[in-house]
Amino acid sequence: MEFFYREEERRARRRYRLVLLALLAALGGAVLLSFGIGYYPLTPGQVFRAFLSRFGYGGELQPQAATIFWRIRLPRILSAVCIGASLAAAGAAYQGMFRNPLVSPDILGVSSGAGLGAALAIFSGAPGWLIQLAAFAGGIAAVALTYLVSRRAAYTQTLSLVLAGSMVMALCNAGVTMIKYVSDPNGALQQITFWLMGSLTRASLDSLARSAVPMGVGLAVLLALRWRLNLLTLEEEEAGSLGVNVRRCRLLVIFSATLLSAAAVCLGGLIGWVGLMVPHMARALVGADYRRLLPASALLGAVYLLLMDGLARSLLSLELPLGVVTSIAGAPFFICLICKRRGR
Amino acid sequence: MLLEIQDIYGGYGGRDVVRGVSCQADAGDILCLLGPNGCGKTTLFRLVLGALPIRRGSVRIDGREVSSLPPRALANLAAYIPQSHRPVFAYTVLEVVTMGRASHFSAFEAPGTVDRDAAFAALEKLHAAHLANRNYAALSGGQRQLVLIARAICQNAGVFLMDEPAASLDYANHQLLMDVVRELAGQGYCVLLSTHGPEDPVSVADKALLLREGQAVAFGKAKEVITPQALEAVYGMEMDVLTVHDRYGAERTICLPVKKP
Repeated sequence: MEFFYREEERRARRRYRLVLLALLAALGGAVLLSFGIGYYPLTPGQVFRAFLSRFGYGGELQPQAATIFWRIRLPRILSAVCIGASLAAAGAAYQGMFRNPLVSPDILGVSSGAGLGAALAIFSGAPGWLIQLAAFAGGIAAVALTYLVSRRAAYTQTLSLVLAGSMVMALCNAGVTMIKYVSDPNGALQQITFWLMGSLTRASLDSLARSAVPMGVGLAVLLALRWRLNLLTLEEEEAGSLGVNVRRCRLLVIFSATLLSAAAVCLGGLIGWVGLMVPHMARALVGADYRRLLPASALLGAVYLLLMDGLARSLLSLELPLGVVTSIAGAPFFICLICKRRGR
Repeated sequence: MLLEIQDIYGGYGGRDVVRGVSCQADAGDILCLLGPNGCGKTTLFRLVLGALPIRRGSVRIDGREVSSLPPRALANLAAYIPQSHRPVFAYTVLEVVTMGRASHFSAFEAPGTVDRDAAFAALEKLHAAHLANRNYAALSGGQRQLVLIARAICQNAGVFLMDEPAASLDYANHQLLMDVVRELAGQGYCVLLSTHGPEDPVSVADKALLLREGQAVAFGKAKEVITPQALEAVYGMEMDVLTVHDRYGAERTICLPVKKP
């Protein structure tokens, strides 16, 4: 005899596969769209021929179309996809780990640390790759400091992490302000401010390649662990009684989420809100189970950031900083979220 | 004996909360822990579950020393059933129950068909399978407690530890839960249950352990242990234990605080 609840459950699994396919299709669509829009618009036909031109096909084409496709838009689009996926996956993981749906990936201070690292490097006149490296190192160092401090704190592990994280963030932000204060207003200060705004204009295949490794490692570990993330949403003792080594599991999650967000920040600067809101949209699509939520979040994050970057490039005649666009889109979303929670 | 606790000491940061408690329970037994708040019931559970280090004495389940087992091996012996809680995220009942399978595969694996079937079977055992696809957080307290019991069943451990399972339930759901506990014992599970109801040991359990300030006041068959003297020692107030007959003629025990007029 077949029971209705088994059938319901099968339907939920089918639905998840459909959602995943739809997200993949949306990603493809968003990529195509992003190749077309910008200061120099390309038609889908031109995009296609610019793609083929690299391989000696495609026929007649203005030379700048190929350059725009391969040198400007491709690195930018790939960066947006990687950053969006990384921030959304890290945000989803942290929301589970801290058992708080309003947590974003920089809760342990990774963005502030990266900002400080970048500001220091820019102030001392370092080249682009060194700024990126300094940002990455700053982000990792900030989270390491947060973790070490939290181990000595007298509260539960998650609360200690949050408290230590906010201290480290305050410290890093003070450092950034100090550096801005002493920077040359016509040189380093402009550059620091621009970096902190978050933008993909300086994306290149080189900088992407440097960030891709930590992103790949972080995402792979999180995806492999993703079912366990469900257990981290329980009380520590309860999860322990189910046979989970909670501390080791948390450390792995912190490690991989930090790699993801540090690599994202050092590639695109401070792009806020993506890691906070995308997991919520993904939850509405596929439910709370991290086995489904994490892949869906990563895909949706990529789509979302591509669309936001498209808006940033096409909304006004001058390009808006991406971080500003995501914040303008994110704040109303957040307000809806807290109002809905109160209404429940 | 399935569960043997022998003269254990343990607590928080050098201060022993549980001091020299011993008790035993076998498969099919219900062992009721009775005592005022702060008497060490929860601490005793934590010691058995390996969440706190045992400073002295031993806890054996199925003949194996608990303190020497890694979390996964221990989870296959003892399951913890917390008070019904509300999770932050909207998990379905099936997802919550499937979490009980965590000890059956490694950290980088996810539950498969076997685990899904086990989760369904556990729910069916409790006649709660119709809830499988509902939102766990939106269920009533009694239903959520049932789901957590299902999770423990599919964990496949022989010993269940229930920490004041009735604390957040209303009167009727409390009675229904106790029926479920009796059923579990009938199926061969060993259930360790802490409670605030002095009648619970007699009406539900076979054995009772009475605790006060981390020490055992009495341990033994519930009917023999629940005496006015023992309850007075536990609660520090005058108590009567009365035997009455309900309308169907069954013998019942009730405990009452009394005061000299």
